[in-house]
Amino acid sequence: MLRWVVPALCVIALAALPLTGNDVLVQYGIDALLFATLAQAWNILGGFTGYVSFGNSSFYGLGTYGTAIAMAQLHWPFGVGLALGAFLAVACAVLFGIPILRLRGHYFAIATLGLSATLAAIIANLNISGKNIGLILPLTRADNAFYEEALILLIAATATVAWIAKSRFGTALLAIREDEDAALVMGINTTRYKIAALALSAFFTSIAGGIHAYWITFVDPAGSFDLTLNVRMIIMAMFGGPGTVYGPLIGAFTLSAVYDVLASSISTAAALLFGIVIVLAVIFMPRGLWDLARGFRQDGVRYFLQNIRANRL
Amino acid sequence: MKRLYTVAVAAMGAVLCASAVLDARAADSPKIVTLGASMQLTGADTNLARYFRDGYQVTVDRINEQGGIRIGDDTYRLALKILDNQSNINLGIQQYTQLITRDKVDFLLGPYGSNHTLNESSIAEKYRVPMVEGGGAAKQIFDRGYRYIFGTAPPAENYFGSTVEMMTKLDPSVHTLALLTADDAFDVAVRAGTQALAQRLGIELVVDQVYPEATPNFTSLLALVKSKSPDAILVGGHEAESLNFLREAKSLDVNARYLTSLTVGVPSHDFRIALGKDAEGVFGMTPWVISPVMRDRWFGDGQQFAQLFQHRFNYEPDYHVASAVADVETFAYALEAAGTLDREKVRDAIAKSDFESAYAPIRYQASGQIDIPQIVIQVENGKVMPIYTDHFLNKPNYPVSAWTKRNK
Amino acid sequence: MLLAQILLNGVLLGGLYGLMALGMALVWGVLNIVNLAHGAFVMLGGYCVYFIFTGLGIDPFAALPFAFLAIFVLGYLLQRYVLNLIVRSAQLNTLLITFGLDVVLTYLAQLAFTADFRTINPSYAGANVTLFGLTLPLLRFAAFVAALLFAALLWVILQRTRLGRAIRATAQNLTAARLYGVDPAQLYALTFGLGVGLAGAAGGLYGMVAQVTPYIGATLTAKSFVITIIGGLENPFGIVLGGIVIGIIEALASIYIGATFTDAISFGLLLIILIVRPMRGLRTA
Repeated sequence: MLRWVVPALCVIALAALPLTGNDVLVQYGIDALLFATLAQAWNILGGFTGYVSFGNSSFYGLGTYGTAIAMAQLHWPFGVGLALGAFLAVACAVLFGIPILRLRGHYFAIATLGLSATLAAIIANLNISGKNIGLILPLTRADNAFYEEALILLIAATATVAWIAKSRFGTALLAIREDEDAALVMGINTTRYKIAALALSAFFTSIAGGIHAYWITFVDPAGSFDLTLNVRMIIMAMFGGPGTVYGPLIGAFTLSAVYDVLASSISTAAALLFGIVIVLAVIFMPRGLWDLARGFRQDGVRYFLQNIRANRL
Repeated sequence: MKRLYTVAVAAMGAVLCASAVLDARAADSPKIVTLGASMQLTGADTNLARYFRDGYQVTVDRINEQGGIRIGDDTYRLALKILDNQSNINLGIQQYTQLITRDKVDFLLGPYGSNHTLNESSIAEKYRVPMVEGGGAAKQIFDRGYRYIFGTAPPAENYFGSTVEMMTKLDPSVHTLALLTADDAFDVAVRAGTQALAQRLGIELVVDQVYPEATPNFTSLLALVKSKSPDAILVGGHEAESLNFLREAKSLDVNARYLTSLTVGVPSHDFRIALGKDAEGVFGMTPWVISPVMRDRWFGDGQQFAQLFQHRFNYEPDYHVASAVADVETFAYALEAAGTLDREKVRDAIAKSDFESAYAPIRYQASGQIDIPQIVIQVENGKVMPIYTDHFLNKPNYPVSAWTKRNK
Repeated sequence: MLLAQILLNGVLLGGLYGLMALGMALVWGVLNIVNLAHGAFVMLGGYCVYFIFTGLGIDPFAALPFAFLAIFVLGYLLQRYVLNLIVRSAQLNTLLITFGLDVVLTYLAQLAFTADFRTINPSYAGANVTLFGLTLPLLRFAAFVAALLFAALLWVILQRTRLGRAIRATAQNLTAARLYGVDPAQLYALTFGLGVGLAGAAGGLYGMVAQVTPYIGATLTAKSFVITIIGGLENPFGIVLGGIVIGIIEALASIYIGATFTDAISFGLLLIILIVRPMRGLRTA
């Protein structure tokens, strides 16, 4: 019972944020919430099965374009746009998941990267997507609504991950991460589980993309299928702690805050600091904040050295 | 586990408090008008965006040096707040939102490039903050019925306008044309305008190809152009593409029979330095040349402005810089005319702008975009020579000799 | 005639691409590091040659070995003191850390060199000869020959020298190699240095046919990826061949399909090859 108190309080605090009337906080908030959803969605596949996807930007991009095409070209309402984006993303996940999920390690990562780049390149050539110029969505002043929608999406994604963590589905995913061949031998249909995880991941990612597109009123191939975005998702999930329920959230909120504050004060150096943070995080805390919290309590500063010793040549 | 929750909640609370405090920052010292912009200070567009940043800066400083502006009964100074969007449109959009909602700037200046401006101007319109920009020339920006966006870059569709017109008046005159344009907003507009004009004037487009902005590699397109032997070659793109094109054209020995013209690059000093002798004879266009003809309230005239700018920034200003000057001056004049910082009144005053600046006479059309003619220019002996506006100013080096026939 | 010229252009371009990808393939094949900062090293090599050429007046081709050396040293130090720290952790981490390095290197380059376009413009930059009605740009031809030479050099090093044997042994079995006295830290650093040094030399050539800015790295990394996957990790000549294949495909696609489709085709090809032939190279996972 007590386990629910803190998350519930957080949700209430977050939901009440727009009431402060502080526009800027709402801006930061939407950004942070969407990123947290992306990190959490990535976590479903990347954290639990260990399959590192560099192509979640494909689903994000399809989500943004689904919404943009629906609203800007076909003049359908927002909800329909989100649905279209989600449909495209999940279809893509299933269609490409089958062949790509056969690949392991680096090759899977590269293949997902290739998928994202290919989709971007194709969309840059289609009239309906506005080619390389992109599309402009109808203007709307409803930031508070976007904020709450993003919050609801994040709650849904986190709840899903919480369910996965406790279910047999999740156990199967973890088995795949630990030793896929053994899992196969034990009769787990790894392909089906991986595709399901990818599809779930795609679903949440695309909805986040759709919200972002409408909020920002614009999509273009470079921005929607941006590799940097994908890396940020991964970093946030990894920073917080992959394969956990709250790790990606913590990673996303912390890094978002840092990045946003930097980008608006010393904007030029934000990129540099981002790069340095990644390098240092990978060296000193490759298992994320969650693990850092545990390890630091146990071993203090030696935790960092242990990580290096375990991973060095 | 619970400890971590507590820590997390405390951290989030701290972030919230900090932001709230930061936002309730000390009120600005009175009597400053702040102009904000999110610009490409790093990233792929930096080279040209800095022209705008320097142009904005030199104008703001100059106006302040000369006593600022009078709004109603008070004297105001101008201030700039510029953020770096790392050439990323998404970040640019966020930063414009921040400039308005968090930094509470009074008015907005534009970034470089039609792609950026097209999208970032939506934020200005959304929050009803007047924005004056000089970096977005595509008509699309102004076709949306937006009321708060004003542009000092002449329409992209007309970039080749004077050039094509000139081509019909030269001897031998031009009958066939190869047109290569990129796929970004600016060049799509250039292409549309040039196609229409060529058709109207009876010039045949023997090559009409679009190349990807992200990875320009002209070798195949050049082979195609060579096979068609056009009288003239027109290339739409930004500085990198213009550079690439000329160098590759030379290495593949591809020549137009009479002339080659590029939308961007030719007026810029570092373009000519990068190409050295290979830039000889190339045509380009600019809405602005350095001359004392344009008078300016703060700079004296165009020539004095150029001297002052070169002295401070160590490079010769081109039309990008000059249009940035006009952007800031638009606000200066409009604020004085409106007599208030009220955005609606200032917006109306901008729409009625009618003043002369070092850049050009500033009058905005109903759409918000200025319309001034492009001057056809040609590189001769490393310098930019104005050739044609609607009549010939100077005799061009024409037909331009082929690569192999030039003096080494 | 047009077709022949296009094919020629494609082959020459592909040769340079192949050279660029050689370094990435070496590092990937031996160290199992997918270097997302690869393009940044190409860019830095380009700047090296640029400054040697404009500052000291040395011919760019003569400056190539210096660029190679400078980037080699940089790569050696990076591998030895940074990358070696994470070599045994999850594969994801090498991707992330090289991504971070790319961001840092690009930023520092912009700080140091500004975003101005730098062209390496020796007097013979635009020279060409006409053979059988085709125009042969000499500089690109020289870059193509340089690519073949470097590939051959790399092959000889790997197959015929002690260092090469040590590298190959390490690639196959690190523990066994250790038993034979190979110092892994040193060897890893040498290999990485060699790989990025090659990239740097390619950068010098690239600066002669295009221009150098701090931001050229990203597209070049992507291109090198595609070529490495197509060419495979076994043989340097395979990489050059892969480069040529991509060069030809892009050249043809530019005209017959549309220049804006070249990226879609390159990456689409990458995807198809990965799907159809999932196991390539020295390692399978």
